Amino acid sequence: MRASRVLTFARYEIRRAVARKKVLALVALTVLISIAPYYALYATHTSLITPPLRPYLWILGVFLPQAFFLQFTALLIAAGSMSEEYEQGTAEVLLSKPVSRQEYFFGKYLGGYALVVGIVVLDVILSITSATFVFGPQQQLGIEPMILVAQVFAALVFYSFAFMVGELMRRSSLSYILSASVFFTSEVVGVFLNILYTLTGTDVYKVANYYLPTSPVDSLPLLLAEPKFPSSVQLVFRFAATPVEPSIGVSALLIAVYFLSAVLIALSYFTRMDVAKRVT
Amino acid sequence: MDERATTPEAVISFEQAVKDYGPKEIGPVTFSVGPGEIVGFLGPNGSGKSTTIRMLLGLIKPTSGTVRLMQRDPLADHVRALERVGYSPELPNLQSFLTPRELLQLTAKELGLGRKETDDQLPVLLEDVGLIQYQDYKIAKLSKGMVQRLSVAQAMMGSPKVLILDEPMIGIDPAGVVKFRSLFRDFVRDGGTIVMSSHILSEVESLCTSLVVIHSGRILFRGGIQAFIRERLGSRSILVEIADSSALEGSALAARISSLGGVKRVTPAPAGLLVEVAPDSDPRAEISRVVVESGAKLVGLGHSRSELDEAYISAIRGTPTQ
Repeated sequence: MRASRVLTFARYEIRRAVARKKVLALVALTVLISIAPYYALYATHTSLITPPLRPYLWILGVFLPQAFFLQFTALLIAAGSMSEEYEQGTAEVLLSKPVSRQEYFFGKYLGGYALVVGIVVLDVILSITSATFVFGPQQQLGIEPMILVAQVFAALVFYSFAFMVGELMRRSSLSYILSASVFFTSEVVGVFLNILYTLTGTDVYKVANYYLPTSPVDSLPLLLAEPKFPSSVQLVFRFAATPVEPSIGVSALLIAVYFLSAVLIALSYFTRMDVAKRVT
Repeated sequence: MDERATTPEAVISFEQAVKDYGPKEIGPVTFSVGPGEIVGFLGPNGSGKSTTIRMLLGLIKPTSGTVRLMQRDPLADHVRALERVGYSPELPNLQSFLTPRELLQLTAKELGLGRKETDDQLPVLLEDVGLIQYQDYKIAKLSKGMVQRLSVAQAMMGSPKVLILDEPMIGIDPAGVVKFRSLFRDFVRDGGTIVMSSHILSEVESLCTSLVVIHSGRILFRGGIQAFIRERLGSRSILVEIADSSALEGSALAARISSLGGVKRVTPAPAGLLVEVAPDSDPRAEISRVVVESGAKLVGLGHSRSELDEAYISAIRGTPTQ
């Protein structure tokens, strides 16, 4: 596998994804989600935002999109990555050149993922800037790179899953629907299991909740960040989400298992199957 | 039938290659193409042309048999097999968000060309296919014919030795067709090989040096065009155009023409009579004389289709497959 070809396909994938209107809409939404909460909190003069909380409000913009928006963005970018190439008949032309299927696969995978990372970075920059602008200088910014790494690592689960579904289905609409269904089902089942556990105290509900794909994804960045902040700041974290999975290690392991499984299944299928003619 | 089975110098070879789609099977396909040939790849819709081409490009895996491109397995050794091969698909589904220049730059990167090589080749190719003034337009804004031209340009990027063209002339205007013919001839003169599928038989006749004819997934013929015509031409049709042809039905004229040497059958046609004759006879002069003697006004007289058309139609009309 040649790095230059992988890079060519990665650049191509970024270009292709950006050319689609939905990715531009996601970027616009990122800007809105990163900026709007600060101005909303400021405008409402809420008593929740006490002066000791103000230097930590950047956390709000960084974590607010973690549970839903960030995963959904990853899913939208990945679901069409392979499937749209079949639908438009462009896969055939690209793969009739002297490039290996692995170069094409990993180039497209990495290109789409780079876009997800770019959107997370944009969210972080806008959140910190907005928090500083509205509520003054922010503190504990030194841990942000670690949080960023955790967030983009966690995003691999639904990114890889949607990428795999896109390759297996080879239909973009089906891929979006199926990937989004799994994501929402996991979120809803998680809430349901949590309620059952609270009501019954039966451990099986709690353990089952750990293994849902959304649990480690939501939990890992929060588990890494929370101990680094004063207890008075926990309220800000509650705005974003509550960690389900109690262990950083297990969260990271589950994320790795989920995303690697999806990548391996997709790669195995792609390298063995025929390149479909234009699918309409 | 000359199947030209695999030879050591063949740039393309199929040996009993089969693609089984379940309800439909393509193959076994056996033929080869040597360097310097322009091969017309003919067959009706759904006969297996695209599947054969896609097996050759390593896009689909044969269920059995072997396929070699540049003497390599296009699936197992895809990169090296396709290093010097250009492909223009039947429906050029090119990336609509790119410009022609960007598409060729992408192709150059896929081929591993350096910046200088790319900068040297790109304007020449765009000029050759008549797209130099559209190089910065989005492909989405180009006409079907322009996209077809661009598809051929991307196939020719990187100085390939083999061109595989699936319906390259579709949507191209007459001036473009003339230009493409010259481009393809130059390509072969410089040592290249072309395999070109087409439904435009006159195009195949004017450009190709040999034929592969496929029908219902089986190779019907592999060899020279004249050999194909000799082998498959069962009859020729002559259209006799006569003024006020409605008066001819059941006339003595049809009977008189039927009695001429070499004539197999005479049937009414919208503009006159359609005379089916043996392939080795040409009774046009006699037909003309008979028409004039009968007092009918002869408007036109000539073969209704080319020999290749007739041989092709004859070949795919129930000729036993291999």
